[in-house]
Order: sequence, then C-alpha cells, then structure tokens
Amino acid sequence: MQEVNVKPKRDQFFKEIENVHHPNEKLVKTHCSYCGMQCGMNLRVDTRTNKIIGVEPRYDWPVTVGKMCPKGVTAYQQTNHPDRILRPLIRDDASLKGTKEGFREASWDEAYDLIVKRFTELQEKYGKDTLSVFSGVSMTNEKCYLTGKFARVALGTRYIDYNGRFCMSSAAGGFLRSFGIDRGSTLPWTDIHETDCLFIAGSNTAECHPTSMFRVWNVQERGGYLIVADPRETPIARRADIHLDLRPGTDLALANGILNLLIQNGYVDEEFVKNHTNGFEETKELVKEFTPEYTSEITGIAQEKIIRAAEIYGKAPNAVVMFARGVEQQHKGVDNVSAYTNLALVTGKIGRPKSGVATFTGQGNGQGGREHGQKSDLLPGYRKITNPKHVEEVCKVWGITPEEMPQAGVSAYEMFELMEQKTIRGLYLLCSNPAVSAPNQNFVRKALKSLDFMVCADFYLSESAEFADVILPSVTWSEDEGTVTNLEGRIIKINKAQEPLGESKPDWLMQVELAERLGKGKYFSHLKTAKDVAEEFRLASKGGYADYYGATWDKIEKQDGVFWPCRDENDPGTPHMFLDKKFYHPDGKAKICALPYRPPAEEPDAEYPLRLTTGRVVFHYLSGNQTRRIQFLRDMCPEPYVEVHPETAAKYNIEHEEVVRLYTRRGEAKYKVKITEAIRKDTVFVPYHFGHEESINLLTNAALDPISRMPEFKACAAQIEKLSMKKVQ
Amino acid sequence: MVKKRLYLELENCIGCRSCLAACTQCGGHEQRNRNYVYDVNPLVNRQTMPLMCLHCVNPACARSCPAQAIQIHETGAVLSALVEKCIGCQNCTIACPYGIPKFDTEQNLMYKCDLCIDRTKDGIPPMCASVCPSNTLQWLTDEEIEAKQKQFNLDNGKWVTSMPYLEGETNVRVNLPGILQGVTKLF
Ligand code: SF4
Ligand code: SF4
Ligand code: SF4
Repeated sequence: MQEVNVKPKRDQFFKEIENVHHPNEKLVKTHCSYCGMQCGMNLRVDTRTNKIIGVEPRYDWPVTVGKMCPKGVTAYQQTNHPDRILRPLIRDDASLKGTKEGFREASWDEAYDLIVKRFTELQEKYGKDTLSVFSGVSMTNEKCYLTGKFARVALGTRYIDYNGRFCMSSAAGGFLRSFGIDRGSTLPWTDIHETDCLFIAGSNTAECHPTSMFRVWNVQERGGYLIVADPRETPIARRADIHLDLRPGTDLALANGILNLLIQNGYVDEEFVKNHTNGFEETKELVKEFTPEYTSEITGIAQEKIIRAAEIYGKAPNAVVMFARGVEQQHKGVDNVSAYTNLALVTGKIGRPKSGVATFTGQGNGQGGREHGQKSDLLPGYRKITNPKHVEEVCKVWGITPEEMPQAGVSAYEMFELMEQKTIRGLYLLCSNPAVSAPNQNFVRKALKSLDFMVCADFYLSESAEFADVILPSVTWSEDEGTVTNLEGRIIKINKAQEPLGESKPDWLMQVELAERLGKGKYFSHLKTAKDVAEEFRLASKGGYADYYGATWDKIEKQDGVFWPCRDENDPGTPHMFLDKKFYHPDGKAKICALPYRPPAEEPDAEYPLRLTTGRVVFHYLSGNQTRRIQFLRDMCPEPYVEVHPETAAKYNIEHEEVVRLYTRRGEAKYKVKITEAIRKDTVFVPYHFGHEESINLLTNAALDPISRMPEFKACAAQIEKLSMKKVQ
Repeated sequence: MVKKRLYLELENCIGCRSCLAACTQCGGHEQRNRNYVYDVNPLVNRQTMPLMCLHCVNPACARSCPAQAIQIHETGAVLSALVEKCIGCQNCTIACPYGIPKFDTEQNLMYKCDLCIDRTKDGIPPMCASVCPSNTLQWLTDEEIEAKQKQFNLDNGKWVTSMPYLEGETNVRVNLPGILQGVTKLF
C-alpha cells in the first residue's frame, strides 16, 4: 500500500504537449490566483517591457493538465489593470468613510508614520487588544504565516481572524472532530475519476471548481455513479444519476438518513468500524429515527431517491464523499461535515486509493492559510494557542516568551461585534473584502464605520477599503513568490512574473517594515525576501499536524508539489491520508459522530415564506473585487439576479427580468428575476459577488456555528415583493 | 506529426465560456473571441452547448465569398478573412449553416475561428480545447475519435452518434448529447 504514497502521479489525462513561444515573450510557470483548484498556468511576459501580457496553458501540471475556467484564463489581466492602486492613499476627513471619496496619495513613509502614530495612541489609551487584524487566504502560506506573527508579535493583539471563517472553517471543524486532523482531501485529485461513485453534497462544482469536471464526467463515462445533493439543478446536478434536491439547510437529516439506510441494509464494514473508529453504536441508535419517510419529510427529497442513493454508495467498491460551502455555510456546518464523513467511516471507504472524503476548498490557499496562525486560536503547524506546549514551540522560533504570546481572540464575525462595542478600535485589513462577504452587511458596515482608525492593504479600492483611513497598495499574486496549498493538500509554488507595479509592495514586506517602525524590528528585520519568510515558516510548522518542514521549494518543483504532512528532507509527502488506518486522535481511531438534527436558525413562516440561499457563478470569485473589474467576466455576468421557479413566480405575479424587492428580517435589495425550473419551488437563489446595494449579504443571517463560528449564509427566510414599475434600470 | 482534430462532446458542456475567454489569447486573434456558447433552454435548465466553426471540407463560407478572402489551410482549417481581400459583404455569415463568421463593422472585416492556426499547424491544441474544463472540446487523433464512436454508438433505434458528420463533411467531429445511454454501469 505504501508505494502509492511516494510521489504525486501523472495519469491518463496527462499529455506531453509543447507550449507556444511567441517572439519576445517568456513563459513563467505558476498557478491561478483564484480558487482552491489552483490550476497550473504559464504567464506570458513581454521580454521588452517585462510586463505580463497573457496566459498560455500549463499542460504539464498533473492536476489540471492545461485546463482553466474563464476566471483563470483572464486572471493575468489583474496585474496591469488601470484600477490598480499604485501609491499609498491617506484620507484625512473621517466623515467620508464608507465612500470612495477623499483619498490623497502619500509616500510610504508618511503612511507608515501615520499608522504607527495612530496604532500606538490607541494601544496606549485602550490597551494592546484594541487593535485587530482581519486577513484572508487568497495569498501565499508565507504571507498567511507572517500575518499571524505580525498580529501577535508586532501589534501584540489577541484579535486576529480571517475570511476562512466564511469559507472553510466548518470543514476544518468537522475533519478535526472526525479524523483529528484537517486535511481537506484524504486523497489526490488524480484519484477522483477512478472511483466508482461520487457523492457530492452542496457543491456547484461545475461553476466553483470547473476544472474538476473532466474527472467527474469520466466517472460516469466509465459506468460509475454521480450523486449530487443540491437545492438547485446546477450544471453538475443536471447530469447526475441521482439529484437529491433537498431544502437548503437540511443536509444533516439527509446524511443521517443515508447513514441509517447503509446500516440497515448491511453496508457496514464491521471490521473497520471495530478496529479504527469510535462512536458507532451511539450513532447507529441516533440515526434509526431517520427513516426514508422522516428524512424525506425534513429534506423534501422523494424517498425513492434517498433509498437509491444509499444503495449505490453502499454497493460501490470505491466511493468518494465530497462537499463544499453548501453544507458548510450553515449554523450546523461542522455537524454536516462530520455527518457526511460518517458515510465513509461506517462503510470503511476511506484510507485507501480511490476512496475517501474531500471538501472543495474555496479560496486559492484556503487549506494552507488556515493552518499557520491566522485563525484566532491557532499558531503555525495547526498548533493551538491554548496549548502551552504548542505556544512554547512557536515562541522558540519567534524569539518571544510564552508570557508575551497573546491569548486566543474571537472569530471573524464576532470581531465586528467587538468593533461595534468599541472593544476593538483599530483594524488592519488585508486580502479580504468583508464589506461584501460578511453576513448581515448593515451591521458589518456600521461596525467598520465606527472604527477609530482603519488600514486596508489591497491592490484595488475594494468596498471595504472605502472604510479605511489609510490604504496600502499591495501586489497581485503574479508580482511575488511563495507557496500555496491547493484543495488536495498539495503544496505548490507561485512564481513571480513581473516586478511590482508602481510603488506597490507584497504584504509580507509591509508587515516587516511596519514592525520595524513599531520597535519590533528584531523579530522581523531578518526577513528580506519571500524565501526568508518561507524558511522561517517551515521551521515554525515543524512538528505540528500540518508539518511543512520537508516541503522545500526545490522538492515542490521536482515532484509536482508536495502533500503535507511532509516532515523532513527525505519525506516525499503524503498524497493519500490514513493508508495505515491510523487517524490523528490520541487512540489512533476516527470518530463516528452521533449528530441530532437541527433545522436552520431561521425557518420560513407566514411573513417570510421563502428559503433564501446564496452562492457563486462561474464568472466571479468571492466578493468580486477582482473579477468584477475584468471585462470578459463582467460582460458575462454584470449584475446579481434572483433565481425563482416559474410556479413561484406565477404566485407573485412576477416575470422573467422584472425587478423585485427581496427582503429578510435584516435587510433588502432589488434584483432582476431569473426564471428557471432548475430550483426548488420553495427556494430562491442570489449570487453573492456584488457590493453596495446589490449585496445579498445585506439579507443573510449571521447565526454562527457553535464550533466553527461559520455564519449561516446558505439558508434563511425571505420574502419577495412585486414592485409597481416593471423592468426598471 | 499525427493528425489531430477538434472533437466536441456536447454532453459535457457546463457553460463556463472558458473556450471563449481562451479564444482571445491565441496569437493572431487580437483579443477577440470567435465562437459561441448557447443556453439551450435557459428558463428550464442549465444545459449549454458550444457552437464552433466545424471547418467544413467544402466550406459554404469560402464558396460564398465573392473576393476569395477565405483561405483553406493545408491542415484543413478554414481561415479568417484576409484583410486585404475581404470586402465586408457578409455573404459568408449568411452562407454558413451555423452563422459562424463574425463581423467587425469598424474595420469592415469578417473574422472567424481559424482553429488557432498558430498552434494547430504545429500540432498544439487550439486554446479552446486546451482549457475546456469539462472535456467538451478535445484535441484527438482519428483513432481516439473512432474509439469514442464505437464506445458511444447505440444500435437500439433510439440514438446514434452524430459522427462522422452532422451536415456535410467537416474536419471537426461532433458528438450530440446522449452518450451516457450506452454506458454499461459498473455495478
Ligand atoms: S478559478 Fe479555480 S478553476 Fe478557475 S482557473 Fe482559477 S484555479 Fe482553475
Ligand atoms: S469551455 Fe467547454 S464547458 Fe465551458 S462553455 Fe466552452 S465548451 Fe462548454
Ligand atoms: S462552419 Fe461555417 S464558418 Fe466554419 S467552415 Fe463551415 S461554413 Fe465556414
């Protein structure tokens, strides 16, 4: 068994193809700036101007073999885009917060001086923890790592958290509980097409991780099965063998119902359950209640479909359970993840090639970025800030004493609550756009506005930057180098293709320079290049669960990436997890979890009879701050809309393309109606990539998961109002 | 160099329009995309399909052109109009059974898919087939295409593959939706 774990493989889709080389151009191998697929690409650089001018497929990247979605194809257009911020910006008139107005260009020195002055004043007056850092994971591991150190060592605050709370935190929580370790996929993507059954829940794969699709379709072409659970008939659900069209927010009942059928119908791997898991008996008792009839009642899925899905998954020699934000962005997201993971644990379809569990990581570095200390309670290598031994290990690398290490902070959304209460008065925001992406926007925008002082590092003036006092121009992904961990858990290398535009700088450099001015130079000044940060970061992760110590840049280059854990120079890494059937709980066993069903925090009622769910479209990425500026993507999807089933539309007497008012207890917005039969009659859907008054997050519910602190973006109660005027602009 | 063809597996399309975005990236394409992706039944479901130039063996577009502006490359690719010859009459767009040729009113010039001749003349796949995430667009040898035809052809009177041709002889091969009907399930 061990030999399959030596090196990532190249498979049937891999073909030796030469790239086109145009005159006066060089190709720089790298990966996409956007989602967790991290498709390989070559950036075309004009050797006369040293500017990025285009893209060429990277046929030699084994995961995606040259394929890219339209975001990836046009990603290069970000770098030299006219909207780039080229110099630091300062706004002296705080009354203009929340608008684009009032910024003036400044030198780096002036911007740094102002930040240091205001941050120091605030901390002197209100204590260290009055400052906060809100970060993101669409950047390299090196940047993510240093941001955690910057918050705790340079600013000395406990309040740091990141946008993964709106993305991957439920998957992390569920995997930690089930396996004792959080690696988003237990197997490499080059196994996906070789399995016999894919059970995909809450993932609009064709739009959100499009370059997985050739592998997904290949399963069906080979005679395997595709089961998709989604309230909408998305492009992947359209072709599924079974589409489980559940009500938003009812995944836990579906997973329990399938598990019950697997147990009742003899698909339990007794031996595996006995030797390698805990919690089976208790779980078996709990799921008994979830008969097909009861499951159907809660989820709205026809009983036959539930029964057939369980039968296929049970019979399949190999199967992979996959899920994404659809199941995770709920106030029981962690439970959903563990409940779907139960299916693999009970049937023993895990810990071997072609079988396992995977989450589709949303952001480019959603995996790596959550492991190395940007989370309120985590330190590098997935260490806990509440564990004195872990703290000591990291302190040694950082050169501080355990007493100097701040306590655990609070989660992303809770930071806004603390801003509103004035516990937090200062914010350093980077790599994120919470003024679009956070739930309950009316509250979040008020919280941002109430800050005494806010810094935002970004390469475009995002909706969130509109609340800043100082904007620091950062670089795009193509103007710096470092590593990223893709959705497989494979550490890969992002390469620099162009010098930073204007006076922009990489985030790690800003943080080093700010730290020096804050009198913390001795902890930061030795970091002069991204490589220097990488070396320190590898050391800081050494010995942790997410051990990157052996993942040198050389090894990444040589073997098409390195799967963590990778503990030393001779360790090739770990493409397949749990091949030895050892899990990471102290007793080496996985946990089968007994999870009682809870409905969504807000259920439809007479006043708000519809279920609102949100998601992505293929043309945009996250808050849209990048993709909305790219002409091709904007042309393809210029504005949000609300998807409504024709029967529902008839009830409200509304037509295709008519503008309606959509509202919930928290907010309202106007959207054009898109009539489609590809959605449940009781559900409406709006894509979330848009800002200001177009943002669907004005309406979403901030009910948090008790473990992951993930807000319930995917289900709340809403109502539609017909407006008198038709088709207004 | 083994001859390869563009092959369309329409069953697979997910509507991402990556083929269109990638089309702009080909050397001679001046950042303009030259093909089409349609929503088949937008108010009902998410089915989509690419509509690409099929590079007809006896192309109506070229035959209809009064100025001989549309040349056929030795690989069989039907090229975009020659700038110096095209008179902007748009006969080609009307003559093409699929309405493929596009028109630039400013330049008074037709432009169309040239199968990324910059690439395909050297056996490198065209941009659309390189990036297509769903393998709707593939770049295959005749043997590979034949194998697909065998694999998918159903002799049950319900569905046949549209290969080798839809309508007249074409260099591009198209397979209509329905391939999964003939697949034998693994268990
Ligand atoms: S957005 Fe994701 S799927 Fe699309 S090209 Fe980039 S990494 Fe690939
Ligand atoms: S790239 Fe492929 S899947 Fe996407 S629209 Fe074009 S043909 Fe369809
Ligand atoms: S499909 Fe139309 S444009 Fe293409 S070669 Fe045939 S006739 Fe000409």
